[in-house]
Formats: sequence, structure tokens, C-alpha cells
Amino acid sequence: MSTQEYAVLGTRPVRHDGADKVTGRAIYGADIHLAGLLQGAILRSPHAHARIVRIDTRRAEALPGVKAVVTAADLAVSQDRIVDLGEGDTPLSYLRGNVLASGKVLYKGHAVAAVAAASLHVAEEAASLIDVEYEPLPCVLTTLDAMREDAPILHDGLRTTEFGEKTGRVSNVAEHFRHELGDVSAGFAEADVVVEHEFRTATVHQGYIEPHTATVLWNNDGRILVWCSTQGAFVVRDVTACILDVPVSRVKVTPLEIGGGFGGKIPVYLEPVAALLSKKSGRPVKITMTRRDVFEGTGPTPGSVIRVKMGARKDGRIVAAQAWMAYEAGAYPGAMVGPGAMCVFAAYDIANVVVDGFDVVVNKPSTAAYRAPGATNAAFATESVVDELAEKLGLDPLEFRLKNAAREGTRRADGPKYPRIGCVEVIEAMKNHPHYSAPLEGPNRGRGVAIGFWFNAGLPSSCTLSVNADGSVNLVEGSTDIGGTRTSVAMQAAEVLGIGAEDVRPEVADTDSVGFTAVTGGSRVTFATGWAAYEAAQDVVRQMKERAAKLWETDAASVTLDHGVFRSGDRSMTFRDLAARLGETGGPVTGRGAVNPRSAGGSFSGCIADVQVDPETGKVDVLRFTAVQDAGKAIHPAYVEGQMQGGSAQGIGWALNEEYHMSPDGAMQNASLLDYRMPTALDLPMIDTVIVEVPNPIHPFGVRGVGEANIVPPPATLANAIYHATGVRLRSLPMNPPAVAEAIWSKEG
Amino acid sequence: MNEKFVLEVNGRAHRVETDPRRSLLEVLREDLKLTGTKYGCGEGQCRACTVLLDGRPAVSCLTPVQAAAGKTIVTIEGLARDGALHPVQKAFADEGAMQCGYCTPGMLLNAVALLDRNPRPSDSQIVDALNGNLCRCCGYPRILAAVRRAASGVQRAG
Amino acid sequence: MHAFEYANPTTLKDALALLGNRWGDADVLAGGTDILSLMKDEVYVSKRLVNIKNIKELGGISMSRGALRIGAGATLEQLIENAEIRKSFPSLAAAARGVASPQIRNIGTVGGDLCQRPRCWYYRGGNGLLAKGANGRPLVPNGENKYHAIFGHEGGAYFVSPSSLGPALVALDAKIKLASASGTREVEAAKFFVAPASDTARETALLPNEIVTEILVPAGMRNATYEVREKQALDWPLATASVALQMKGNSVASAKVVLGHVAPTPWLAAAAGQALSGKSLSDSTIAEAADAAVQGAKPLSQNKYKVQLARVAVKRALTEIARGRA
Repeated sequence: MSTQEYAVLGTRPVRHDGADKVTGRAIYGADIHLAGLLQGAILRSPHAHARIVRIDTRRAEALPGVKAVVTAADLAVSQDRIVDLGEGDTPLSYLRGNVLASGKVLYKGHAVAAVAAASLHVAEEAASLIDVEYEPLPCVLTTLDAMREDAPILHDGLRTTEFGEKTGRVSNVAEHFRHELGDVSAGFAEADVVVEHEFRTATVHQGYIEPHTATVLWNNDGRILVWCSTQGAFVVRDVTACILDVPVSRVKVTPLEIGGGFGGKIPVYLEPVAALLSKKSGRPVKITMTRRDVFEGTGPTPGSVIRVKMGARKDGRIVAAQAWMAYEAGAYPGAMVGPGAMCVFAAYDIANVVVDGFDVVVNKPSTAAYRAPGATNAAFATESVVDELAEKLGLDPLEFRLKNAAREGTRRADGPKYPRIGCVEVIEAMKNHPHYSAPLEGPNRGRGVAIGFWFNAGLPSSCTLSVNADGSVNLVEGSTDIGGTRTSVAMQAAEVLGIGAEDVRPEVADTDSVGFTAVTGGSRVTFATGWAAYEAAQDVVRQMKERAAKLWETDAASVTLDHGVFRSGDRSMTFRDLAARLGETGGPVTGRGAVNPRSAGGSFSGCIADVQVDPETGKVDVLRFTAVQDAGKAIHPAYVEGQMQGGSAQGIGWALNEEYHMSPDGAMQNASLLDYRMPTALDLPMIDTVIVEVPNPIHPFGVRGVGEANIVPPPATLANAIYHATGVRLRSLPMNPPAVAEAIWSKEG
Repeated sequence: MNEKFVLEVNGRAHRVETDPRRSLLEVLREDLKLTGTKYGCGEGQCRACTVLLDGRPAVSCLTPVQAAAGKTIVTIEGLARDGALHPVQKAFADEGAMQCGYCTPGMLLNAVALLDRNPRPSDSQIVDALNGNLCRCCGYPRILAAVRRAASGVQRAG
Repeated sequence: MHAFEYANPTTLKDALALLGNRWGDADVLAGGTDILSLMKDEVYVSKRLVNIKNIKELGGISMSRGALRIGAGATLEQLIENAEIRKSFPSLAAAARGVASPQIRNIGTVGGDLCQRPRCWYYRGGNGLLAKGANGRPLVPNGENKYHAIFGHEGGAYFVSPSSLGPALVALDAKIKLASASGTREVEAAKFFVAPASDTARETALLPNEIVTEILVPAGMRNATYEVREKQALDWPLATASVALQMKGNSVASAKVVLGHVAPTPWLAAAAGQALSGKSLSDSTIAEAADAAVQGAKPLSQNKYKVQLARVAVKRALTEIARGRA
């Protein structure tokens, strides 16, 4: 556990943006107003799979008030190439195809054309006047169907990559990869108990309350100015530039406040389209999605089919594990099966492992990240099997996990060897929590546990600090703040400088005003941008020491800084006093920090849940829920708890209620917030949180990202709890009343 | 075809000439530039667009602008008086009762309406009253704490 | 959304004068939570919306001559808060309590609950009330029908009646009063709800020029409603049962058992009522009635579970009465 004493870290200061957010003054994506602003509307495909025979925009263009109409024909024609924009390699044609369909539409809701007009009503009416002739094609909606030899093919040019090699075989399987460790057959031969099952998870949406929105002005000087709601301003800049075929320096992105993202606001949908409309009309154009657009036209997280087989010896050691994982990518390759495969057995030290992953395209929206993307699906399978193994061996489920827990030096099947991690400490905290030993009485009640891992991301972050004459410091960063990271980043600078968190004024800047910073994702902001702030603060301290040395006519090396006081010999001066004298000692002081950590150390989490199941209706009530997570060092414990509660709540919704209901022809049937069934306060238990602190050896303050690992264990935790309440194992999500009731009845015969 | 209305928003009368099929939300945000009221679904399901109409919470996305004419409209921008935060605003800020903050204006106005009706609500009354306002970040525990704090009027130290 | 005219009458007479003889010429706006969503999605088009929120004569809840009178403009929250309803009509209070959330119950009216359009997502997706595909074949039987009807869909309407109060009112033999510019009429609750036979037909007996003005519910029956739902709030029930019993001493003289959210109308399970007649409420008679209630169900490919849930709802509603809780 963390032992170092800090003045600022670990405290709970009021957030810097709090006043703006309670007065309605905070400017979110759709709140931007520009002179001459036009409103845009997008025409979306009514078909899940169809060839576009012809698009005729003349009727729309003729409608009074319409200023521009665009289709894929307006996109620059340039050679397809592979681009890496921080989210892995992607062909440019896929990025372009998803913002405006060309040749074919691949899902219902796929953008086909767009209109800009003086008012939204005119734009919407004009969009409905665009005549598109489609030749409908058979659609394929699930991974298993899409993997069949006779399945309709989405991309004629998509050739399966098998074990890293192009095969030349055209199919819907974009990639099949394998991770191997040891000898899995020998491992299973050694096992006394083997459990194997197939698991399914439904397509689910991140469900942020703010729909996507973008406003773009293609200026007369050729610069493209973008204001939007995004998790990564630089991703928007780079993707927009790529799609429009202009240099990145031509695009400036100003990220406004963001109303939730959870991974879903990393992809770019609207900005290039609004840019084309602005170019054509000569005016700024704003496009805001409707809720239906958000469900049908953005990236939910993949549904999946996962087969997990694990074997253990009588002594309680897991000796072999095998997983077959097929995730639905949606319309374009890039299902989160890669990260899923990294995480599937990541919590355990197992000598013999094989993991096969399949990235499969289907006629659904192109999927995106959602809080530890891919890992929740995987943990649902693994943690259910682990629970069954423990039961078969007659071991306490946490003892069994502890016996096999990954620790420093454990090698994962996908390669990396763990540095100091907190898996054991998380399990021990679960075991020691009063919840785990509390009596659970009454019929139809059960307690479940599960653990989870997310590797977290490093990636580049930049930060600058400038010292004001009153001793305060302005901090400029490039990470959009979704859950309070302005404050957690500012606190790290304040800790180094020995000043209060309130003395640092954080500002999220546009892409012209701060160095490259990767997305607010991968639980990386407090870790990586906080580290950049740490480096920038060190840079300030170095310069301030020089200034003190100049005033005191001494050597800078002799100057120390302790709790905001510079000292050398018997002379001392506070940070604030020295800040007032920068003018006479050489002018302003600014500090810079830029980091690019290759790895992030990862975070483990675990949950304990008590449920009561109505055996006649299948309704599951969560009576008590405890979430445990390793934060490394909890910079702002209240925000760490907030992340844990948020991830738990989303995990509970994923487990019990949420899913995309697709009609056989590929239309999402429940594309509204009521029919999508997200949990509300009344559906959720009070979520008790326990922060474990095993300092991350990579980070100067020991920080581990905390945004994601918390969503990983809840579905498996609840499945295990339901089993202990009813004797029935649910292996398909969501576990809603119809599913639970049917499982109970089929057991009863 | 445009029609003329007078909207009384946050104590000020605004003359509005607009298409009557537009929602109050649209007119507040676009014509009056009061962007604190948020669009989340357009179907009254997330309640991010909540405003107070004659003191009662209403979803502005499903309120035809004409239906608001002649009523007292309060938006999030109208809560603070003379530069001082409304006690519920202050409680939300002090408790950090938000993550992304997008549901905050609607949540806050609903809390104000609740406390006007029932100055000392129980926890279950608070949850019941605010339950329709979706918060996907799951700020509920802190939101509950903020409403409790506002109700008690006690300014806890730190 | 297409353009519409907005009218704001303060008397019933003025409101009725604004209605037309065809749907879509004019429609009533009460809480507005339903019709405006439909108009936004362009599932429904109306030229004129008549706001009846400001008509005082439509409000109020009172008891007179042994019957409960509920004004159609009363809100669902007022229904729940009414002491008389809580005491003598727990079935109605329970049904109202299940609706959405307190905010919606504060706005949503009793009349609105009866007249709201089906939540069927095929209908909401623009496939029409009977949800037919381009080839004229019904989409629901082979589609996503988990939340659709298990009874009464032979005529082609697969949606379930969304009204929460409907089953309770049918069980209680309520009458629904309708007014038009030319007069008023009373319809039995059981006949107010109809399964439409075409896309242009409606789910209620209400005519385009009429407004629901009040509901009259006779007192004297033991009654209860039980709802099975997936979420605690902001959701529709999966299946409900409303029961109303005329008791004679300890035995049931006559009984009405009505299922909700299982058919295009509140579904009167006559066999269940007969099964109870002349018997006292015991675990075995309750079980028999519950089994009888779901006899003849015709579940679709994904909603077999509803048969069991409906059976459980009947059992639990009757058990509430047997245990003296309702």
C-alpha cells in the first residue's frame, strides 16, 4: 500500500469546472454559436445491406433554404492507404466509407448524404427529398452466421488475415489470430477437472446522454475549424484531415465540454461531413445527432460468442486454459477481440494457454470501444468457468482465485510479463471485506464474485504550465475532461510545486495550442496526462530554483523546494513570493511536459454481489454490491469512487437489461432510451467501493488508470450470484427476466 | 408559418416570432441562446432538457413553444441570483455531484422543484423524484448527497 | 416534424369544437408525452393539436352514489395520492404506480393512459399499426416479438395494449364517458379497447371528434393488480393481471380476471373468472384460476415466457386479496 505522504494527492478538492457545470455556463459541443451558422441533417440508409444504384439530390437542392448537399462523391478521391491513428491500422477507405457510404450501405443507419440549410427543419425535409435507389442485398447479423461459407459478403475486397498473413480468401472474417503459451494439450492431460462452455453477449451501447455533435467552418484561408464533442481532439484532427485529404496543419479542433463518451466518442462521424457542407456553402455548419442516430449510426460495443475451456488439478492449480473468441465488428473490421483476447485469462497465472480470436464483420453499425472494450465479454466467460471449477474442486471461489492469481513476473499468453500488479491485493481486499463474510439469508438469494483486468493505455500526452505573478499556475492540457481529470491532472502539478490544487487553473486546449495528446480513453488521462503535468511541473521547479539562486546569488543546485518553500542555506522564499519576482529575474516561467509511455501497468478490479431472484418471474434484484479496484495511487479518491460506481452501474445494465434488438432485416428495434432499458437509480443498489493502492512502478506517483477495469467483473459476478441463488448458470447476456425465468423452468423441466 | 409569442424566461420577457411546431428547447437554445438546457433524446426520456414551467419540472423537448407562452419559465441560467449560486447549485458544486455534467442542469432543476414541494425529503423520496433524469456516469450517490446537503442547509466543512 | 396548429382551449365545449371528423385533422394533447414523440418521428401526422390541460372540468376525483368518478384530466399521481382509491381501489393505485416515473405520472393523465398509442417498436419504426412488411406479410411473427402479444393476435394486431389502467378498469366494470360536440356517450371499459383490423383503425372506440371526459368505477369489489416488470421504473410491464372479485361471505360470487400487456387489448380471462366462481380463495383455487387464465395462449417465437409471467401475475394478484393485502 502507498505509504508516501502527500500534501495534495489523496485529498478531495472541489472540481475546477464545477461552477460552470451547475450554472449551465459550461459550453458543450452543441452549445457553440457562430454567425451565419447552418444546420445539417444526415440521410441514413433504411437498409442493412444494399448496393447504392443512384443518388439524385436535385429535389433536395431545389428546396428553398437549402445551402449545400453532399454525398460520398464529394470526398476527395485518393489512393487507399493504411492509416494508424492511435487505434490501430485502418484502411482509409473504411474511415471514409463509414462517414459517407460509397457503393454500398452496410448497416441500417449508415450515412448516405447530408444537407445544410438555414434551419434544422428545412435540412431534415431536404434530406428526405434525396432520392436514393437501392438494390437490397441479403444481410448477416451475427458472428456465427457471418462466418459461414455461404454468408453474404460485406466487403468484396476483404481478405482474411490468418496468424498475421494475408490468405487471399474473401470472407467476413477480417482476422484470425492466436496467442499461445506452453503446451495446452499437456496441460489439460494434467487436469483433474475440466470445465468448458459457450457464452454469448449482446451488442450494447455506451449510452452517453449527450449525442454526437460537430460544428465546422471551412475558412476562406483553407483552414478547417472544428468544434465538437470528442474524447480526442487530435484524433478528430488527424482523421478529418485524412478523410478530406488535407495536411493535419490545415485542421484545428477545439474540443468543447463532453457529455459522456465511455469509448464511444473516439470514432469520427460528423466532422468531415460538416466540413464538406461548409466548403460547399461557405458557411459554418453544425450537425447534431438524434438519439436514434446515436443508436443506429455510431459504434456500440460488439456482441460476441466465446468458448472457454479451463482445467485444474485437485490441488487447486489451473493448469490449462483455452478460449475461442468471435466478436462482431459491425460493418468494418476492428471488433474489440484483440483486447478481449489479451484480457481473457489475464488475471491468472496459467502455464498452458491458447487463445483464438476472430474479428468478424456483420451488417450492424461499426463497433467502438466501451470501457475496457472486449474485456467484459471475455471475463463473463472466464469468470463463470472459474466459479464452476472452484465449486467442482470444493474450494472457496476467492481462495481458488488467489491460488492462481497473476502476480509480478507472470507471463500473459499474448506476451507481456507483469510488473508489480495488484491482482492479489484486490482479491484479498474482497476476502477481507465484511460483505464477503456477511450472512446472506432467505430463499432465492445468492452471492457471487468475479475479478477483472484491463491493461490501460499509455500513449502521448502534453502539458504546459505558466506561472502567474500571484503564485498561481495555468495548466494547459489536451485531454478532454469527462469525469474530473482537469482536477486530477492539476493536483499532480500542484503536488510537485507545493501549492494548492485550487492554485492551478487547468484548461483543455485546442489542437493548435497544446502538444499532441492521445484520446481520453484507456484510463490514461490521470496516468499519462498527469505524468506530463508532473514533468511540466518539474520543469517549472528547475527554472524557479534558478531564479531563486539568481536572487540569492547562489548555485541553483543548492536550492531545494519543500511544501511550496524554496530554501538555500538559511534563506527561504515561498513559491508565491518567488512568482512575484520573475520579472526581475529573467521574465516569465513556463514549463513543458510531454510523455509517451509504452505501457501503463494495468488495473485489476473485483466485485461481490448479493442478488435475490424471483424464481417465478426471473427478475433479479441486486441487494448489495461491492466494487474493489487497484488505483495505484488514488489522486482524487472521490473521482476514483465515481469511476468505480459508473463502471459497476454500466456493468449491471449490461448484465441484466441492455441489448440491441435487431429485426431479421437488420433494423434496430429499440433505438430509444426507453426501449433500450438502461438502469436508473431505482434499478441500482448502493455501490460500495474499496480503493486498493498498489503503486504503479512506472508512474512517478504510482498512478494506475481507473476508468475501465471496473466494468469488467459485474456481468460475471451477477451470473455467479444468480447461480448461487437458483442453481442455474446463465451463459448469455443480458440476464433479463425472460432469460432467467426460461433457464429456471428448463432446469425444472 | 410563424407566430408571435412572449416567453417569460428567468424573469425577462422575450418576444419570439417562430414556427409553432418548434419545441421550447429549440427556441431556448437557438433563439434565446440559453444553451444550459440540454438535448439528450428529444422524446422526454432522459430529462436533460428539464426546465421549470410555473415552478413544475417539464421536458422542454416535448413542450411546443406555444404551450410555454404565458407561463413562468426558469432555466438553469435563471437559478443564481445577483451572482450568488442557488443553494442547490452550491450543494451540487460542493459535493462534486457530476462526472460529465451533461445531466446536471436538468437534475438540478428537478431537485429545486422537489425541495420547493418538500423541503425535507427522505432518501427514497429524492431517488424517486430524480429517477427519471438519466445519469449514465452514475453520479447518483453524489447527486443524492448533494440534494440531502441542500435540504439540510448545513454546510459541511471540507 | 410536419407543421401543426396549436390550440389552447379552456372549456370542453371549445375543445370539442376544435376537433375534426378524421384522425390527423386534430388530435388531443394532454400530457403530450406520447403524441409529440410520434410526430417527431413522423410516425403520426396531425394538423392541429388541442391542448386540454387547461380544461378544469376534466379534472377531479370524487366518490358519489357508490361509484368513483375520475376526471380524464386527473394525473396518475393524483390517482395514487387519493385516499379513497388507495383504500377501495388498490388495483387502480397499483396500476398507476407502475407507470414510468413520478415525473411522467405528474404530467401523464388518466385519459392519456387510456388513449396512448402502442409501444410496439414496429409501429414506432414506421411499419404501421399492424406492422406489415413491403410484401404485406406481418413482420412480428418472425421478427423481434419478445414483447408482443400472446393472446388476441389472430386478427393481425400483434402489439400489446400499453394502457396500465385498462386491465384494472375492465376488471372493475368501469364505464368510460366520451363527449363530442353533438353529445356524450358511455362505453364499457371492456368495449372501449378494440383490436384494430387495419392500419387505419384505432385501438379504442374513441372517435376522432371525441374526448374521454371521465371514468366511472362502481365500488364494492375486492380488487388487486400485480405487474411483472423488468426494471423498477421507466419501463413497461412484461405482463400484468388485474382481478376484481364480488365476494359472498368467504366465497367468490363472481370474478373478473384481466391480463395486461399480453394482447392488443386488456385481455379478459373468462375461464379464470369461472374457475373462481363459488369457491373460496385458497392456494389451490388460485392456482387453478391462474392456469385457466393462460389457457389458449398463442405465444410467438420469442415470448413463451409471457405465458408463465401472466400466470404468476394472476396468482399474485389473487394472493394479495386472499391475504387481505388488497
